[in-house]
Amino acid sequence: MSRALEDILFDDLGSRAQAITRAVSVTVAATLLVLAAGIVVRFHAAGQFEGRLWEFFAWKTTWAFLGKGLLGTLASAAAAAVIALVLGLVLLVGRLSRLRIVRWPAVAVIEFLRGVPTLLLIYVCFLVLPSIGIKLSAYWMLTLPVGLSCAAVVAEVYRAGVLAVPRGQTAAARALGLNEARVFAHVVFPQALRYIVPALVAQLVIVVKDTTFGYVVTYGELMQNAKVLIANYRSLVPVYLAVAVLYCLVNYALSRASRRLGRPMH
Amino acid sequence: MGSVLRLLADHGPAFGQALLLTWKLTALSFAAGFALGVIVTVARLLPLRPLRFVLTAYVEVFRNIPSVALLIFIVFALPDLQVVIDYEPSVILTLVLVCSAFTADYLRTGINTVAGGQVEAARSLGMRPLVIITSIVLPQALRSVVQPMTSLLIALMLSTSLASQVPLPGRELTALVARIANDSAAGVSAFAVAAAMYLVSGLLIAWAGATLDKKVRILR
Repeated sequence: MSRALEDILFDDLGSRAQAITRAVSVTVAATLLVLAAGIVVRFHAAGQFEGRLWEFFAWKTTWAFLGKGLLGTLASAAAAAVIALVLGLVLLVGRLSRLRIVRWPAVAVIEFLRGVPTLLLIYVCFLVLPSIGIKLSAYWMLTLPVGLSCAAVVAEVYRAGVLAVPRGQTAAARALGLNEARVFAHVVFPQALRYIVPALVAQLVIVVKDTTFGYVVTYGELMQNAKVLIANYRSLVPVYLAVAVLYCLVNYALSRASRRLGRPMH
Repeated sequence: MGSVLRLLADHGPAFGQALLLTWKLTALSFAAGFALGVIVTVARLLPLRPLRFVLTAYVEVFRNIPSVALLIFIVFALPDLQVVIDYEPSVILTLVLVCSAFTADYLRTGINTVAGGQVEAARSLGMRPLVIITSIVLPQALRSVVQPMTSLLIALMLSTSLASQVPLPGRELTALVARIANDSAAGVSAFAVAAAMYLVSGLLIAWAGATLDKKVRILR
C-alpha cells in the first residue's frame, strides 16, 4: 500500500513549517469552536433550549413513534430494493438480448426510468393514476416509483458487472456445451454480482433517501411521523435535527458497509 | 397525441418557464456546488487535523442526508432559529451543499489516481505543496472525474424536482405537473411532456459530458 498523497505532500516539513502548521491548526480549531459556540448562542437566543421543545424526547412513546417511522422507511426501502433487484435483472436480460424487438424496449424503459425524477413518478402514482381508475395504497404509491427508478440504475450496474467478467469465461462455458441461458445464470452472472455488490449496496442509500418522499403520499415513514410529532409539540428544530441524525446514521452505516464490501477479497 | 397538443396550447409557455427554472436551479447549484466541492477537497489535503476532521464530517453528513429532509430543515426549521432564507435560495443552498459533498468525494477518488511519484518528483524539484496541488494534482484529478461529475449533474437536475416541496413563486417541471394533475384531467399528458423535457435535458448533459471526457481524459 503506497502512502496517501497528502502524506507525501507534507512529510518532512522544516521545523519552521511545522510550527506554522501547528499554529494554524490551533487557530482553525479555535475558529471552529467559536462557530459552534455561536450556534449554541443562537439556539439559546431563539429560545430553542426551552424544556417544552425537548422534554418529549425523554418519553418512550416519542421514540416508539419515531422507531415506527423508521420501520416504515425500512419496510418501503426493502420492498423497493427487491423490486429494483428483480426488475433490474429482467431489464438487464432484455438489454443484453440479441433480438432488437426485446433490446430496444428494454433500453427505452431503462433510459426513461433513469431520466425522470423519482418525485415525478410518485406524483404520477399519487395524482395521475387515480384519475384513470388505478388506486394504490400509500405504501405502494411510494414503494413502486422508488423501486422502478432504482431498477433502471440497478440494470445498468448489473450490466457494468457483466461486461467486467472476462470474455474467456463465456467462451470456455460455451465450449463445454452450456447453452446461452446456463452460461449467463451459472457462469457470467454470479461473477458479475461479485464485482458489483458494493455498487448495489450504495444504491440502497439512494433508495432510503428516496423513501423520504413518503410524506407526500402520507405514508407513515420517518419524515411523515416527524411531521406528526411537530404538529403535536410545535418543536420544529429538535425533531428535524433528530430525524436528520437518524437518516444520516442509517445511510452512513450502509455507505460504510458498501466501502467494506468494496475492498478486495484477498 | 391530441391531448398533448391541447395541453401545450393551454400550458405551453408555463412548460417553457418551468423547464428554464429547472435548468437555472441546476446550473446555479452545480456551479456553486462544484466550486465549494473543490475548495473542500483541497482544504482536506492540508495538514490541519481539526479542519480535516470537520470537513470529513461535512462530506459524510451531506452525502448521506436525504436532500428533501435538508430542504425542509432549511425552509421550515431554520426560521425558528431566526435564520430566514427565501424559498429559491433555500432550494439552491440545499443542492449546493449536497453537490459539494459528492464533488469532494469523487474528486478525492480522482486525486487517488494521481501517482505518488509525481508528487515526490515535484517536491524534489522544490515546488511548494500548494503549487503542487493546484498545478499537478488537481488538473489531473479533475480530468479523471468528468464521468462521475456528469452523472452528478444529471442527478442534480433530477433533484431540482424537490423544489416542488416548497411554495416557490415560479414552478419548475415537477411542481407544474403536480398542479396540472390536481386542477384538471390532463395529468397523463402533462406528465409525458415533463418526462420528455427531463429526458432530453439528461441526454444533452450526458452527451456534453461524454464529449468533454473524450477530449480531456488521460490515457494511461
